[in-house]
Amino acid sequence: MNTTLTGHLLYNVDKLKNIFHYPQSKALYIRSVYLSFLKREAVVFFVEGAAEIKTIESRILTPFLSEPVQTMDDDDIIDFLIEEILTSSICKKITTFDAAVNELINGNTVIFIEDERAAISVVTDAFKDRQITEPSTEFVIKGPKESFNESMSTNCSLIRKRIKDPNLISELLTVGDREPQQVTVMYIKDVADDGLVKQVKQRVNQIEIDVVIDLTILEHLIEKRPYSLIPSTLTTERPDRTVSFLREGHVVLLMEGSPLALIVPITFWSLIHTAEDQYLRWASGNFTRVIRLIALVITLLVPSVYLAVTTFHPEMFPTDLMLAIAASRERIPIPAFWELLFMEITLEILREAGIRIPTVIGPTIGIVGTIILGQAAVEANIVSPILVIVVSITGLASFAIPDIGFNIAVRITRFIFLISAAAMGFLGLSLAFIVFLAYAASYSSFGVPFFAPLAPSLPSSNDLYTRPPVQKQSLRPFHLFPKDKQRMKNRKERNK
Amino acid sequence: MKRLVYAFTVSSLFLLSGCWDKAELEEQAYVVVMGLDQHEEDENAVKVTFQIANPQVGSSARGDEADEPPSDIVTLVASDVAIAKEQVHAIVTRKISFRHLATLIVSEKLARSDQHHQLIASLIIDPEVRHAMSFIVSKEEAKDFIHANKPRLETRPHKYFQFMRERWREIGYVPDSNLNRYFQRLGGELFLAAYATAEKNNAQQPRKGYLAGELPQEGGDPVQIIGSAVFRYGKMIGTLNGRETRTALFLREQSFVRNAMETFTDPLNEKFEISARIIEAYDPDIKLNLKKNPIEIDVTIPVRLQMVSDLSLTDYSTNLKNQTRLKKSIQKQLEKRTMEMIKKTQEEYQSEPFLWYLNARRHFRTLKEYEAFNWSEKYKNAKVSVQYEVEIANFGEQTKPAKLRKPKGGHES
Repeated sequence: MNTTLTGHLLYNVDKLKNIFHYPQSKALYIRSVYLSFLKREAVVFFVEGAAEIKTIESRILTPFLSEPVQTMDDDDIIDFLIEEILTSSICKKITTFDAAVNELINGNTVIFIEDERAAISVVTDAFKDRQITEPSTEFVIKGPKESFNESMSTNCSLIRKRIKDPNLISELLTVGDREPQQVTVMYIKDVADDGLVKQVKQRVNQIEIDVVIDLTILEHLIEKRPYSLIPSTLTTERPDRTVSFLREGHVVLLMEGSPLALIVPITFWSLIHTAEDQYLRWASGNFTRVIRLIALVITLLVPSVYLAVTTFHPEMFPTDLMLAIAASRERIPIPAFWELLFMEITLEILREAGIRIPTVIGPTIGIVGTIILGQAAVEANIVSPILVIVVSITGLASFAIPDIGFNIAVRITRFIFLISAAAMGFLGLSLAFIVFLAYAASYSSFGVPFFAPLAPSLPSSNDLYTRPPVQKQSLRPFHLFPKDKQRMKNRKERNK
Repeated sequence: MKRLVYAFTVSSLFLLSGCWDKAELEEQAYVVVMGLDQHEEDENAVKVTFQIANPQVGSSARGDEADEPPSDIVTLVASDVAIAKEQVHAIVTRKISFRHLATLIVSEKLARSDQHHQLIASLIIDPEVRHAMSFIVSKEEAKDFIHANKPRLETRPHKYFQFMRERWREIGYVPDSNLNRYFQRLGGELFLAAYATAEKNNAQQPRKGYLAGELPQEGGDPVQIIGSAVFRYGKMIGTLNGRETRTALFLREQSFVRNAMETFTDPLNEKFEISARIIEAYDPDIKLNLKKNPIEIDVTIPVRLQMVSDLSLTDYSTNLKNQTRLKKSIQKQLEKRTMEMIKKTQEEYQSEPFLWYLNARRHFRTLKEYEAFNWSEKYKNAKVSVQYEVEIANFGEQTKPAKLRKPKGGHES
């Protein structure tokens, strides 16, 4: 199909019509004009919904139908039209049908001229985009309130707004065989490691699939271990967060139609940090971070520790607490393990239903949840009140884990721990924890170990469990092999 | 195939292993207090009393069990505790568990017999038995003691002992004795165990230091725990009253009892008494001279004095002369009391409860050498000198005792 345009206007028009199944499909719009100043016929094509008619009228039709000031002095009619007649800022000369089709489906207008072997493409795209809104999942109280929308150019612009640096490279790659989609690879040339950039581009280029529906699908396609519980990439809807990753030497991928930026490589730390940790002052930022770490431990371990202690090691409770639990469990007909599993699964159902439920009947879920989970289950002697506390603390804590992928991974792991604790008490729990930790420690994302720079220990700004004040975060993380290792010169060098 | 093998391995891990010790909380009966008594006729038998906590009393899960007692007390006769733990299931519905057993009560009669050590030593074979459980000697049968112990404020029996233990550590009339300590002191040193009774004996002369049962009391809980039972070679040989127990604890290095309220004779007015809080500011300095015969033991105890009451209303706070006399007098009284107590241990018990054997042990290279030295034999005849270094900390909030201001000579109008 990659044929060049012929000099025959009618042939060209017919061929293009065929490609777009005209007139069966009404997508293609055709408008013929007579260029009186050239004494030639021209045909203007655009695709319904993709191009903006007003722009076509003002940028193309008006100049074509009015008498030009200049007279034709160029040998090439196409060049003459682009340079002296058309008032659009981006015009392109195209010579193949393939290119013409590509331009049309991307919302541009293609003009065929009588007796010319080339055509003109004018940028007139007007796909409808959402406004830039506040982030909905990564909300912060203090800090920028912009988030990405579904337009790649808007997203690029949001990033460029923050990094005014010619070294910020955006390269275009194409994925998908049937419907080629563009992927923008962004990185800062004098920071990001060349090897890393090459590796990311290679992974993208290696994808063999007919169509990549969304950036989130691309995320799965570039991952090395698709069955792993732990994610090896991170998506964020915050341009400011994306920019901070870029400045550290990470690589960012963007795609048309996705309100997210895909960041590689990642570590455990990037999964539990939030943008606000840095925006808040040192003490407040660290406080929220420590709270989040506690929440992580609670989500992972509280149900299984409760189970292990009640069924294997009751001596670990103070006598009063033990008696209180025993008293509340006296009329429960099912073992603690099934009781806990039942409640945990109910909670997970509640969470899932809460996401799927239409907003109009949303409040119902609260009533159903509190009544079924809280009161009725206890009064019906199916669960003990202390267990309700355990489950609700766990549920509450799980909401504090910021990354959705990691969040669900932790919630799944919680069930694995629960089963191990039910089988062998603390012994089983510690075995499962060791396995989990060993797996996480050996896991890597694009060659970067999951717990770097803590394990293996590498120089960095120690932005890990807690963070130092901003002026002390002078090093870029060395596990990314940044070309420019220092963010700021130390005071001695500055004073020179 | 490979996946099948994986799935099989992982599932068999859970199916073939684990769950041995698994037991639901509510399916167990938690013994919180255990009593041991000698059997009247059979020398080889022991009477074991289990006090089992009732989880529903005192918790929010009430319902129609409101009339249930806070605990169930069962007494069995068996050859040892392990057998009793099995046999009790003829009576008790739930599986007996010792995991929350924190108090062991031994009757004085059993404690004074040879059977005592055999029982206690074989008790800890059971891994459920906590070595940190409190060790209490009751004057009467342990069974009667447990039945009589119905504290008014603490409904749950374990709570009573838990709080009591905290008071012991604070006041020092009772040693904080537990099984661990018992097993540490089997080599001729004296082991002090808490002494308790529910039998009252008010005929004793007052205010010279009380043993359990002697404290004049009206109302309140039926049980008194004060003073200590003295053990040597795993056998009870006597008692120390509350004051003596406290003195013994004061003479230990790194003791948990650091302050004590004591009464002294007022040096300026012998009719009256002075009460003061004695604070042991630092560890006592214990110097041993093991080369001499008899061995010499030199103990210096630095104490600080806090005046609590001054019944003679003598001005000690502003009068320096009076202060010096007070200091000297108190020092003498303290030394006299301590020496009396030490003499008692030397003559009556022929060993010491002050843990000085730990200091003595440091003078030897090997344990064998120390054992050959025979510390308690040497201690019996040792020359012990005790010196208190008294320092007055303060006289309380009042700078001067408030005296009645009656007009001199004149008549009251």
